[in-house]
Amino acid sequence: MNPMIRKEMNLRMRERRGWILPTLYLLGLGATVAFAYFTATERSLGRANIQGATVGAATFLTVSYTQLTLLLILVPVFSAGALTIEKEQRTLGALITSLLRPIEIWNGKFSASLLFVGLLLVTGLPVMALALSLGGIGPIELLVSVFSTIVIVATVAAMGLYFSATFRRSIHSTAVAYGAVIVLAVVTLVVFLLLFTHWSSTHPGQPESEMPRLLRVPLYLNPYYFLTVSFGVAAGISRFEWSICLMVYATIALAFSALAWRSVERSGEQL
Amino acid sequence: MIQVESLTKLYRGQRGLRSFDLVVATGESVGLVGPNGAGKTTLMKILATLSRPDSGRARINGLDVVPHNETVRKIVGYMPDVPGVYQDMKVREFLLFFADAYHLPSRGRKDAVEDVLRWSGLSDQAQSYVEQLSLGWKQRLVLAKTLLHGPALLLLDEPATGLDPLARLELRRQLKELNRRGVTMLVSSHILSDLEDICTRIVFIAEGSNVKHPQPVDGAPPAADESVYEIEMLPAPQARDVAAALPGVEVLYWSETSLRLALEGGRERIAAIVTALATAGVGVTRVQPAAGLESQYQRLFGARA
Repeated sequence: MNPMIRKEMNLRMRERRGWILPTLYLLGLGATVAFAYFTATERSLGRANIQGATVGAATFLTVSYTQLTLLLILVPVFSAGALTIEKEQRTLGALITSLLRPIEIWNGKFSASLLFVGLLLVTGLPVMALALSLGGIGPIELLVSVFSTIVIVATVAAMGLYFSATFRRSIHSTAVAYGAVIVLAVVTLVVFLLLFTHWSSTHPGQPESEMPRLLRVPLYLNPYYFLTVSFGVAAGISRFEWSICLMVYATIALAFSALAWRSVERSGEQL
Repeated sequence: MIQVESLTKLYRGQRGLRSFDLVVATGESVGLVGPNGAGKTTLMKILATLSRPDSGRARINGLDVVPHNETVRKIVGYMPDVPGVYQDMKVREFLLFFADAYHLPSRGRKDAVEDVLRWSGLSDQAQSYVEQLSLGWKQRLVLAKTLLHGPALLLLDEPATGLDPLARLELRRQLKELNRRGVTMLVSSHILSDLEDICTRIVFIAEGSNVKHPQPVDGAPPAADESVYEIEMLPAPQARDVAAALPGVEVLYWSETSLRLALEGGRERIAAIVTALATAGVGVTRVQPAAGLESQYQRLFGARA
């Protein structure tokens, strides 16, 4: 096992946030499920029969979006400070001058970030299973959405690690990582809406599906769109769109990883 | 062991190294001395493969440190000026982690850790958290970590910074023992008395370049300099002017209670100077030749307090 991964996991679980964050995460997720469940059943009051499938689907969607939002908030905390903390406590030099390769150092940090996110996802599984038990969604939908969430989170972690390798201080790398998350989650949506409005005004009466794919590029960068199209994969509704999002995210993750390896190799200059 | 040729590394066109040369033979213990910003740390970082030179060459055991950085890291143990530690690790755990990081075979890994624990006197504290150690013990821990993979060359950048006198003496003893065992050392320090004790040769550096200086005979550490004297006295502001007015006397340093003088002619002149000071009403309490390296340093760099 890569000693970096072992060290990172040991130290992370020793920190107070090692148990506080999963607790808060689970509380947040549980509260959301309760809210979604009661909202869905409340709406159905007065109807002859409450459809479990409707409640289940509503709960599942709410939990999925909430989970993604929470993870987008948490991942920069783990990843963007991962290498800057080594610079700040002056241990990066010792790592670089050991026989660990830059890719091993990066891999240790990346895997530890993802493993912690994995822990959060696993702690959230019972909540997801509750939605599953209500019906309306199948295990394939659940798996694809969880897989998509992992890809999104891994991409954000790769970006955070790159910023961490580039900047000297955690505060700067974390701020830039959150900036990148905002660009992905909000700015892409705003840009798409502007493009869509412009296209609609120049092509009146044409359905949205006719919009050229090139104009949809900002949407493929948006994590919520990626998650949304993942819900339709099992039914074959949005398989192509999902595949494009997957490729876009995989490319971003690989590009930032390669840049991060390079930065780790050269980070001795910053010490 | 070390061959450095015309090594240049500048930071935004300033400071760093400018065409620096150095040769260190196997088994030598060389002190690197120079004022702040002279380029000592830059040289150490290039040799430790942390930094790349702009031009010139640095070789360790014949291997260029840039293309052969991985092989060089097996040979070199580097202790930076402000070494970092993982505060929330236990001492043994810290060493085991670095044993893994140095890819020590799983069989010898624990033995290597126990060896350095014993050698550094940390065995009793192996289960303590690193944050509980004093600065001196942390320094020992970092040195122990640096020795885990049995490096043939130690690069020590200000190893005694922040240590109390006893810890410094212990560090000196450890470094001399390592050198006796055949470990080659390049030590940068501002504590010149430490270097005099540890090193077999001193190299001066200023503004990134070599500074020419008299070489000690047969690699012996520089002895006390008989032409530079330190004079301690009762508070006497007039002492500097009295000394400076004497022929063949250069005042290297002065304060209200001490003088450091370079004398032409050496010790035969000192009696005349003491007489002159006494005549001017200066109460001399102590006269002694200055330590060799300190006086060399003052002459080379014109230090003034």
